[in-house]
Amino acid sequence: MDRPVKVKVDHLVKKFDELLVLDDISFSVKQGEFLCIVGPTGCGKTTFLNSLTGLYDITGGSITIDGEPVDLKKHRVAYIFQEYSTMPWLTVEQNVQFALNLKREKAEKAKKQAEKYMELVGLTEFRDYYPDQLSASMLQRVVIARAFATEPELLLMDEPYGQLDTELRYRLENELLNLWRQSGTTVIFITHNIEEAVYLGERILVLSNKPTTIKKEIANRLPMPRDIAAPEFIELRNQVTELIKWW
Amino acid sequence: MQRIGKTVWKRLKANRQTLLWIVISFATLLIAWQVASMLSQGRVQIPAPLEVFEAFFRSMTVPIGKNTILEHAGISLWRVLLGFVVASVIGMAIGILMGVSPKAHAVINPLFEFVRPIPPIAWIPLSILWFGLGSSNKIFIIFLASFTYVTINSYEGARNVDPKLIGAARMLGASRRRVFTHVIFPSSVPYIFAGLQIALSVSWAAEVAAEIIYSQNGVGWIITMGMNNGNITQIMVGMIAIGVIGYLLSTLMRVVEGRLCRWNRQET
Repeated sequence: MDRPVKVKVDHLVKKFDELLVLDDISFSVKQGEFLCIVGPTGCGKTTFLNSLTGLYDITGGSITIDGEPVDLKKHRVAYIFQEYSTMPWLTVEQNVQFALNLKREKAEKAKKQAEKYMELVGLTEFRDYYPDQLSASMLQRVVIARAFATEPELLLMDEPYGQLDTELRYRLENELLNLWRQSGTTVIFITHNIEEAVYLGERILVLSNKPTTIKKEIANRLPMPRDIAAPEFIELRNQVTELIKWW
Repeated sequence: MQRIGKTVWKRLKANRQTLLWIVISFATLLIAWQVASMLSQGRVQIPAPLEVFEAFFRSMTVPIGKNTILEHAGISLWRVLLGFVVASVIGMAIGILMGVSPKAHAVINPLFEFVRPIPPIAWIPLSILWFGLGSSNKIFIIFLASFTYVTINSYEGARNVDPKLIGAARMLGASRRRVFTHVIFPSSVPYIFAGLQIALSVSWAAEVAAEIIYSQNGVGWIITMGMNNGNITQIMVGMIAIGVIGYLLSTLMRVVEGRLCRWNRQET
């Protein structure tokens, strides 16, 4: 069944003064799709996300969600970045409810949502802890639960697991896939870790460097859960690596 | 108050060694005082600790002037409370405004930096001329003493909010107003509390100074009257009252801060 287009990026251009960062980027993301964007460090991935959320004004082209220009007040967009953005004065539970409180959801609903997502990321027993009592992976779990609790239609993730060691990263990646499957949220996941992109994405967008263009779009039809040691996985990973090769 | 007392006691109990050092420290003071009092016989007059404490407790029921010491303390505390609360509210508002708005900072800060180095005591003559000899001039001095510290700390708090947290709230759909109420303000609370704590101590000192210069009641007045009458015991009774109240005020602030800023371990 063909899914409708959720996000459409059309001839996007972004310049900082005379410096061309994003050069004529066009692609679309389907409803409920998990799209991974890979590219060398400093290739403008974050600039792209910031343009998408309206944090930066774009120089040319357009970005739409459901055919309308992005409006953070209207569209439910959640953004998770590499640095842990938990509010230090709130407990785990209050942090997970944070976005719902911002949107003035009813206390009962906020509590229920928080319960659900704390449970899903395994934080229920840490609900009364403050962020400075938590480990790095737990902090990122709080942020992920906070994002999913808002039931976002679009989830943007900018190298969210960049600071974690390999084992924790695997665990959180699996949790993320689980949450994504249950919620049906559209995900745009940016990473410079090729293995991570091949493990998570239904489609992989490979970017080139300075100015950023789309080098190639690769459909990833490997069945989930994926085995990182399987020959097909390794083959796809090598294919993406060949396209990037920034070293 | 009872709950706060309980909390303090619980902490002390949990840390018996601390309690022991407190006892040793006060015992040393009392012994040194007793020895000084005995050695000073016939020269400088230093009343013995027992005599002073006896007078102190007696003054709780027998008035000094028109009021008992508790009433004097109540009068002084009421002035401090009024000046401190008004200064805190205005100081927080101005400090946070300067922290979030570079324009407000550019306009207010030069004036603030000009007024700041003038010690509150230097305002006493003006305040007496402006507000008369009653409580108002003292409340004004307390206001000035507190205002500076609360403003500076609120400013620092609002200025030092992690931009990453503001960004996260924005991304989660927070309006500017909600960013303020849900991120900037709570994030500034430990700074504000540090300011309030200093402000309260300074207010108390300013109040006593203002009462010593001119007053008809209050704990500072007890000291001035003691000096005028050559009653050294009364002076020391007044000083003990000032010390005890100052200590209680700072303990109270620490306990409140500990509760409100539990998340901020460096501060608690």
